[in-house]
Amino acid sequence: MKAIEIEHLKKYFGTVKAVDDVSFTVEEGEFFAFLGVNGAGKSTTISVLCGKEQRTGGEVWIEGRPVDADTKRAIGVVFQDSVLDRSLTVEENLSCRAALYGIDGDMFQRRLEELSKLLSLGELLRRPVGKLSGGQRRRADIARALVHSPRILILDEPTTGLDPQTRQQVWEVVHLLRKTRRITVFLTTHYMEEAADADHVVILDGGKVKADDTPLALKNRYAFDAITLYHVGERELQNLSLPYERAGEGFRIRVKSTAEATELIVKHPQLFIDYEVTKGGMDEVFLTVTGKRGGDR
Amino acid sequence: MKQLFALVKRNCKVYFKDKGVFLPSLISPLILLFLFIAFLGNIYRDSIRDVVAGFEISDGLVESIASGWLVSSLISVCAVTIAFTANTVMVQDRVTGARNDFLVAPVSERILSLSYFIATYIVTAVMCFVALGAGFIYMAAAGWHLSAADFFLTVADTLLLVLFGTAFSSLVCSFLKSQGGVAAIEATVSAAYGFLCGAYMPLSSLTEWLRDALMFLPGTYGTGLMHLHLMGGAIDAMTEEGIPHVMADAMKRGFDCTLEFFGSTVPVWTSYLVLAAAGLLLLGVCLVLHLGRRRKS
Repeated sequence: MKAIEIEHLKKYFGTVKAVDDVSFTVEEGEFFAFLGVNGAGKSTTISVLCGKEQRTGGEVWIEGRPVDADTKRAIGVVFQDSVLDRSLTVEENLSCRAALYGIDGDMFQRRLEELSKLLSLGELLRRPVGKLSGGQRRRADIARALVHSPRILILDEPTTGLDPQTRQQVWEVVHLLRKTRRITVFLTTHYMEEAADADHVVILDGGKVKADDTPLALKNRYAFDAITLYHVGERELQNLSLPYERAGEGFRIRVKSTAEATELIVKHPQLFIDYEVTKGGMDEVFLTVTGKRGGDR
Repeated sequence: MKQLFALVKRNCKVYFKDKGVFLPSLISPLILLFLFIAFLGNIYRDSIRDVVAGFEISDGLVESIASGWLVSSLISVCAVTIAFTANTVMVQDRVTGARNDFLVAPVSERILSLSYFIATYIVTAVMCFVALGAGFIYMAAAGWHLSAADFFLTVADTLLLVLFGTAFSSLVCSFLKSQGGVAAIEATVSAAYGFLCGAYMPLSSLTEWLRDALMFLPGTYGTGLMHLHLMGGAIDAMTEEGIPHVMADAMKRGFDCTLEFFGSTVPVWTSYLVLAAAGLLLLGVCLVLHLGRRRKS
C-alpha cells in the first residue's frame, strides 16, 4: 500500500510557484528522504500533505484517501524547531496535544506510558520543556509527533542545529520506530549522509522534482566514484592522463563508475599497491542534481 | 468540544505559567490603583467639593465618591490593556510555530481562533476581578455605598467590558506577528485608551465636539456603566446629607455616570446594547478574518 501519493501537485502563492507539478509516491514502511535547498518547496509540500495549506492543483492521497481532517490522524510531524510550550511540562504538552486527537483520561495515560518507555522520557515528563537539554527536547518533540500513534512520521529537518551526540540519539529513536512499528518515515534534511540510508530519495529544486530514485541509483547516475592512491609518484600518475587532485598523503582520481575503476586497476596494477575506491556521496548527487555544481553525467 | 476545551486550558496555562507576563499583569492594576489614589485622589476630591460648593458634604462621602471613580476608571482601562497582554499567547504561537503544530492536528482554524478568544476572555476576567476585589477593599475602607444591585451590575459591567476588550485586542493582535508588536500596541493603548474612554478625564470636561466624537467609541459606554454603578450609590447618598437632587444629577452627568450623545441622555440599556453589540461584532470580524486567511491560503 502507498503511504503517500502526490500527482501533479501545484501550490502557488500569487505569482510565486512554490510547488510546480510535483509527483511522487512513498510506500508504506519506507524511509523516504525529501531533499532540496531552502525555498525548493519542501515545507510547502509538507504543509499540503498535513492539510495545513490548500493546494492550487493536483492530487494528494494519504493511505489511499484524499487529504482531509481524518488523514491528519495518520500523520505525525516533528518540526525543525521545537513547538512545545516551554513553560509547560512535557506531560502537560503531550496531554494537550493528545486531546486534540480525542485521546484523554485512561487512554492518554496508557499512551503516555508507552511513549515514556519507547523514548525513555521517565522523569522528563514532569519537567518544563524550557528546562530540557537539546536532545531531551527532541525526544519530547518526537513523543508529541507520536502521541496519536501515526503511521507516517514527517521529520522536517529534525537534526538541524543539534550536536553530533544528540543527532545520533534522534536517529536511534527513528530507527527503533522503523524496526518496531514499521512506521513510514518522511525526512527532509540538509545533512546528505542522513539521506544516504533512505530507501527512496526525491530531490526538489525550484518547486519541481529533479531526481527520484534510490540513493544507490542516484549515486550511480549523478556522482563520480573516486580512487585514492597512496605511495605513488605524481609523474607516474600523470601517465594515466586522467584528472587528479591531492588528497592528504595521496592523490584522488575521479572515475565515472566502479567498472571504470576496476578497468584502470587491472590495466595499471603497478600503481595500485595501496589504494581505496569510494563511491560518490549524496552530497555530490545533490549538488549535481540541483545544478549548484556542474558535471551532470 | 474536547479540542476547544483542551486548547483553552492550554492557552490559559501558558499565560499563567509565564511569570514574566503574568506577574506584571497582576501587579500593574494594583500599582495603577495605588498611583490613582496617591496622585489623582486629591484632584477628584477637590472636583467633587467644587460641584457641591455652598453645601456641606461629609469627608467620608467625598472619599466614597472619589474611590468609586478611581476603581471604575481602573477596571475600564484594565479590561482592555490586560486583554492585550493575554493575547500575547496567540501572537507567540505564531512566532514559535505552535500554531502550525495545532493545525497539523485535526483542529479547525475556527476552533483554534475561538480558543484564543475564550482563553483571553478568561484570563482578562480573572485579572480584572482580582483588581476589582482590591478596588472593593479600598472602597469599603473609604465608605461603602454600593447596593446589592450595584454590586452585581458592576460584575456584569466588568464581564461585558472584558468581552469588548478581548474582542478589540483579538482583532488588533490578529494582524501582529511579533511579541514586540504586541508590546508596542499595548503601550500605545495603555497610554491612550484611558483618555479616549473617559477613564482618566470625565468626558463632560472635554469640548463638545471631542465629547461627541468619543461617544462613537464603544468602550466609552462601558466606562460610563462602571462609573454609574460604582459611584451612583454614593452620589445618591449625598441627597441624604441635604444636597438637592438636581445637584446629584448634575454630578452624575459631570462624572459620566449619565452619558450624553449629541445633547441627548443615553439610557443605561443602550449602553449595555452598544457594548455587547460592539464586542460580538468585533468577535465576528475576528472569526471572519481568520477564516478568510485560511481560505486564501
